[in-house]
Amino acid sequence: MKNGWEELVSIDNIDVRVEAEDWKDAIRKAGQLLLDKGDIESAYIEDMIASIETLGPYIVITKGFALAHAAPCEAVKNNAVSLINLKNEINFGSQNDPVRVVMCLACVDKESHIGKLSKIAMKLMEKDMIEKLANCDSKEELYKTINAVKEEA
Amino acid sequence: MIEPKIQCVCGFGCGSSLMLRMAIDDILRKHSLEANTFCGDVGTCLSNPCDVIFISRELAERIVDRAEVPVVVIENFMDSSEVEEKVLAYMNKED
Repeated sequence: MKNGWEELVSIDNIDVRVEAEDWKDAIRKAGQLLLDKGDIESAYIEDMIASIETLGPYIVITKGFALAHAAPCEAVKNNAVSLINLKNEINFGSQNDPVRVVMCLACVDKESHIGKLSKIAMKLMEKDMIEKLANCDSKEELYKTINAVKEEA
Repeated sequence: MIEPKIQCVCGFGCGSSLMLRMAIDDILRKHSLEANTFCGDVGTCLSNPCDVIFISRELAERIVDRAEVPVVVIENFMDSSEVEEKVLAYMNKED
């Protein structure tokens, strides 16, 4: 971290214009980025899907944005966050549908990720942020938008 | 006035509830209001002592009949005007 800047989502954990068939597929694709890095095992992806089947689509916490997550468990190896935007809008059955941006959150316990997630929350509360994230056409653009990397003058 | 304890609830008490807690803290700061905010999960939130529960619509249905404290439903966790309106409505009632 320098000058108060902290990377919230790494470029490897970002993808854009992802094609998903339905909400389960959208979560699988967001989760796959973390699976590829070894931050989670595939059981965690199924946990995220199962939690929505049990508890409903409450993870669509704001218009167009789903925060996929499940309880901390052994299938989570490292605290990690991935972020994708979707090529096609997907309905989760929420009043905040349709979803265009999916973030996948994996945490090893209930506390150690709080600092970073707080910063992500503040970022998401910025005006029109979900719209901006949804409209990014490249990984680099999405990376810069979520991490607020200042453009070189 | 004693600081009210505000419990923010999601499925597991570590993801979306934290987002909601940040939004509520932001509003409290903006209006110089004092309250204790913390996160809970839908399975155990009713046994955590608090003065009010803030929760999403989908999850509210699971607890509202059994809750002994007011349950405030938030549709859009990141919509600061909705969160502001509902936090202020609760805090003003407390005064």
